[in-house]
Amino acid sequence: MNEVTITTPEHVPIRLEPAGAGSRFLATLIDFFIVSAVSSVGGFLFGVTLSRGIAMALTITLNFVLTWGWHVFFEVRKQGRTPGKRALRLRVIDARGLPVSLYQSLVRNIVRAIDFAPAFYGFAALATMVTASRRRLGDLVADTLVVRDAQALTYKGQFASDRRHNTLRTPRVLRLVRHKISLEEREFLLTLSLRADRMSPEARYDLMEEVAAFYRQELGLEADSLSGENFVRDLTAVLFNPQER
Amino acid sequence: MNIERFLAERREVWNQLEALLKRAEEVELSRDEMHELVGLYRRTCSDLNRARSYTANPEILGPLNQLTGRAYRFIYRASHDTAIWATFVKLLTREIPAAFRKERAAVLVAAAAFLAGIVFGSLAILVDPANGRRLVPAQFFTESPQERVEKIERNEERIDNMEKAMHFGASLYTHNIRVTFLAFSLGALTIVMGLVVLFYNGVIIGAVGTMYVLDDVSVFFFAWVGPHGALEVPAIIFGGAAGLVAGRALLLPGDLSRGASLRRVLPSLWRMMIGAALTLVLAGLIEGSFSQYSAKTIPYPIKISVAALLFTGLISYLFLRRTQDA
Repeated sequence: MNEVTITTPEHVPIRLEPAGAGSRFLATLIDFFIVSAVSSVGGFLFGVTLSRGIAMALTITLNFVLTWGWHVFFEVRKQGRTPGKRALRLRVIDARGLPVSLYQSLVRNIVRAIDFAPAFYGFAALATMVTASRRRLGDLVADTLVVRDAQALTYKGQFASDRRHNTLRTPRVLRLVRHKISLEEREFLLTLSLRADRMSPEARYDLMEEVAAFYRQELGLEADSLSGENFVRDLTAVLFNPQER
Repeated sequence: MNIERFLAERREVWNQLEALLKRAEEVELSRDEMHELVGLYRRTCSDLNRARSYTANPEILGPLNQLTGRAYRFIYRASHDTAIWATFVKLLTREIPAAFRKERAAVLVAAAAFLAGIVFGSLAILVDPANGRRLVPAQFFTESPQERVEKIERNEERIDNMEKAMHFGASLYTHNIRVTFLAFSLGALTIVMGLVVLFYNGVIIGAVGTMYVLDDVSVFFFAWVGPHGALEVPAIIFGGAAGLVAGRALLLPGDLSRGASLRRVLPSLWRMMIGAALTLVLAGLIEGSFSQYSAKTIPYPIKISVAALLFTGLISYLFLRRTQDA
């Protein structure tokens, strides 16, 4: 993966994931549509209320201010997120991990004119593919990054279906688990348990049953009284909490 | 290694930090809340380190990473007041001129390339007026300078109201900004190409100007292009100069790495570019309105003095050393 690591003064490395060209283009597209919509609504309102010439002038000025000011305003005031970026969970930050300053925002948006060339962000797309942290020219000049926001932590409660009566917490299972479940599989089970809440009920049921069936066979366990999900959760609890307290 | 218990115990701290950060993005935090935020941030930092030693699971590390990063951005940001207007005023009154004074050598080199172009263009026309067709794009040759002047002075004013002026002005400055930043990026990538672009623009202006002078309409020429040219030409030179600064940092980094070398000149670069862009916006507005009036509305001596005033104003704003930053 294409990570950028920033070390805080507390010596904690924070890893950020630079966003790719596709999601960034979509975000810009959303912003473009909002800006166009606002300026045409504004233009229409000017058109009905004012004489034609003045309305034209105001519309062009509004469009100019919006096209140049939109990104700068949101990047500086809204923690690096324009409405388009917010929708795609992207964020502009300084390359040291700090918020973008006004200058940086101004510069990366002025250079947008070059990034846009020759058509539809051609240079920008090329630059994001060539540079290590997926930056467009504006990002390089202003020393900024566009990163992907992680999902919020949705984990609630515990892994095991019933903490007191985890029927899998027996010396035999512990021994089996130690021998038959690799490190990668442990991480997989942990991810599955953490992610379960975000799945659709059908997918969750199917997946849990399938995984449970595999491990029932792999470990030679019956445990038929448990549903697939409870089997997986109890197994995960045994894996990550071997001694109970 | 007990991730279940770790998550169950620490979750509360993370949720508190997240809630407080969310609040901080909406309202100003009190002193106590600020202390609390810093405390929660430190605890989350150490949790992140501990979590890393337990697992590489992205489901756990991802959200924690993001939370720590958000808190870090909030706590260590340069300034807690994000008053855009005050920053902008400071940028205009102090920082942009300081950047130009610091990089005056690059500005001089860029200006020299442009001037050399003007001299070359004029000499070429003086040696043989037919050279004009070889140097200048064909679109300038629909009529002789004299004919063009007569046509403009005989006809109605092209711009007779506010609307037209603003419309025309807006289309001009968006175009000019693009041209200047092209000069900038060529300079930044190759140095030599940046100088060539400046030289070539000088050649065109020199050649066209000399053609008007030879046709005995020099006053018209200066009155016509002077008011906006007084800003536009410097802006193009500034863009080119910023390109040279970037190019030198990139191509001749000396002992530093290229990245470090570029980062060192970035503050000056930003400011020069913003300065050039703002000058271009002003030039476009003038070109769309004031420059388009002929002698019937505004006498040429006035237009030429305005041009001189704008030019000296711009240069002294950027380069005259003020006492406070001595």
